[in-house]
Amino acid sequence: MRKLIYTATIAVSAFVLIQSCSKSNPGNNNGNGGNTGGGFDRKGMLTNMSTNVIIPAYTAYQTATTNLDAAVTAFTTAPDAAKLTAVQTAFKTAYLQWQSTSEFEFGPAGDANLSAGVDTYPTNVTQINSNISANTYNPDLLANLSAKGLPAMDYLLFGIGADNNAILTQYTTDATAGNRKTLLGKLSAELKANAAKILTAWNGTYKNTFLNATGTDVGSSAGQMVNELVFDYELLKNDEIGIPAGVQSMGTVFPEKVQAYYSKISLQLLLAHLQGVQDVYTGKDGLGFDDYVASTTAKYTDGTPLNDAIIKQFATAKAKLQTLTDPLSDNIKTNPTAVTAAYTELQKLTVMLKTDMPSALGILITFGDNDGD
Amino acid sequence: MKKTFTALSMLSAVLIFASSCKDDKKNNPTPNYTVPTTYNFTNANFADATTRLGMVTEMQNVMKAALTGPVDGQLLKNMFANANSPFTGAAATYNTSGLQLKDQTPVLFQTDVSNFIDSLVKVSKSGTAASRGVAGVGASAASPNSKYALTATGVNYAQVFNKAIMGGLITYQIVNNYMTAGISSSVDNTNAVAGKGTAMEHNWDMAFGYWGVPIDFPTNKTGAKLWGSYSTQVDSGYKANKILMDAFLKGRAAISNKDNATRDAQATIILQAFEKLTGAAALQEVKEVKESISDNIARNSRLSECYGFVYSLKYNPKRKISDAEIDKILGMFPKNFYDLTLDQLNAIRDEIAGQYGFESVKDVL
Repeated sequence: MRKLIYTATIAVSAFVLIQSCSKSNPGNNNGNGGNTGGGFDRKGMLTNMSTNVIIPAYTAYQTATTNLDAAVTAFTTAPDAAKLTAVQTAFKTAYLQWQSTSEFEFGPAGDANLSAGVDTYPTNVTQINSNISANTYNPDLLANLSAKGLPAMDYLLFGIGADNNAILTQYTTDATAGNRKTLLGKLSAELKANAAKILTAWNGTYKNTFLNATGTDVGSSAGQMVNELVFDYELLKNDEIGIPAGVQSMGTVFPEKVQAYYSKISLQLLLAHLQGVQDVYTGKDGLGFDDYVASTTAKYTDGTPLNDAIIKQFATAKAKLQTLTDPLSDNIKTNPTAVTAAYTELQKLTVMLKTDMPSALGILITFGDNDGD
Repeated sequence: MKKTFTALSMLSAVLIFASSCKDDKKNNPTPNYTVPTTYNFTNANFADATTRLGMVTEMQNVMKAALTGPVDGQLLKNMFANANSPFTGAAATYNTSGLQLKDQTPVLFQTDVSNFIDSLVKVSKSGTAASRGVAGVGASAASPNSKYALTATGVNYAQVFNKAIMGGLITYQIVNNYMTAGISSSVDNTNAVAGKGTAMEHNWDMAFGYWGVPIDFPTNKTGAKLWGSYSTQVDSGYKANKILMDAFLKGRAAISNKDNATRDAQATIILQAFEKLTGAAALQEVKEVKESISDNIARNSRLSECYGFVYSLKYNPKRKISDAEIDKILGMFPKNFYDLTLDQLNAIRDEIAGQYGFESVKDVL
């Protein structure tokens, strides 16, 4: 009997101590919280995300950039019209694949700042030409971020002549053709190398790191995924359509600021990007944020379940975008009403993804909390 | 047998928890007085600190003139020392306040401020657009309405000043004065002056005032400035708002109730938090650099903010970080900010994060 009381006393005091400890530890952010919060299988979601969404995306992107670099090498070795067309095709394939690869800017991609190196636009034509004429290109300088990646190649493959014949002469008879070929080769090789590096990291140790950070706090995999997904979605909404259409400049349009301005595939890319974001949200056929949100009682402002509202809004935004046509840079000028209507639907989705979803899942949005200096 | 086993395992559990809680118990004895939830104490008065923060704002406003034309360097130096009635408009009352910034700062800082001002004045007279090798005013590529005055090597001295004064004035006063000498046994904590409290209460209030937050912070964040703004900006990774607010409230209540042990414990928390907050703010700027990574002008300005925070650690006489470590981090910045690489930036981030135990939150602060 005495033993029993002793045990009970210890149990009670242990409980009290546990309580006081948890209260005195508000700054614990190690990203390793439990994986059963709300009964939803977060680890299962992370497993599905890495196996069926993220790693396949990096694998496809690595293949696409490898093919692009091979096409560039073939072209620069012996430039002709057919090989130029082949490079242009490989370029478009890589760009389209990038749109469903840009959503994961954490872990290996975050450390390498992959997105900024792959897709900073509008590209800096002055800087590109200065790199060509000086025949120097330092890939490490952040100052070259706006003169590299897919947008720089967009310019070099589509923007340096009125048509393909004129473009071809820039790689054959032009005075700086040699330097231009050198730079083009360096840019595609850099894309390929960075893609391989990220894929290798995911196929290596990072996958386990990702799977084991099962909490929802800052630094957890779910926390990072939601933050980067929303950040990437805002780039879609703002950079790919909003800013060119003048929503941040009181209607003054900047058609030349669209993504892929020279190859004129901006709208295709926009649609591919929206699909990419939706695939991350749904986890494709497996456990995704859709299931996670549905496991909560969260409702949209109109009273419908939040997940239903989000899925519906993806469809609405997509339908509005499908009323537009490439080149988007022309559509912005000739069909501004439809462009604005599409932007408005994308904006509604922003609120759902950036405010409603994180709030339902208890995830903190940590980007953008700066003073704007 | 089974019961014994249970008792033993429970006992070990108790031991584990007890040891992890030891510090808490020591630092948080149960007070027998009430700690309020807002800084609404009898006789609390930090008007002098507020005035000095106002002077900082006035200097910052004059520095903004660098974006449109030459900056009056002598005026800035006069404002720093409150000499020759430098303040105008609503701030003209500062001229006769009898207060100044300069005499509240360490000598190193006074020399540095003079140099920062001279550098900024030089840039402001350039008249050309900023670019690599050319001092002048540059616009952000992403938002062209945001302009920055950069030296030929990309340094924004207005921002270096902004961050340096947070260390050289605010942190310096709090850690070197109010949280140490200001609460020592020789300071009067018996005779309360109406509207000011005891000398010790007043010292504590001044420290709170320098933090730059409203009395019902962080529920209300209106008007939070300088450290008050940054403690919120880093809150996602370092809960400085709560740590500081709790400590300021507890410590002030302790002083009024002659609870010296609690007072000293809170002073230590505050003193250490201001150094850690500086590290967190530097990491927050690394994050901002990354958010404008392809934007040469904005990126350089934000890197200047980061540099300013790291440099400002030098003004903290109670710092845990060594001089060699500060110099090591400063040496990791490129001589020309236009030459920054991602590897350099990540190395700066990792060094600061390692120094202050922010490894797990280094990208979210």
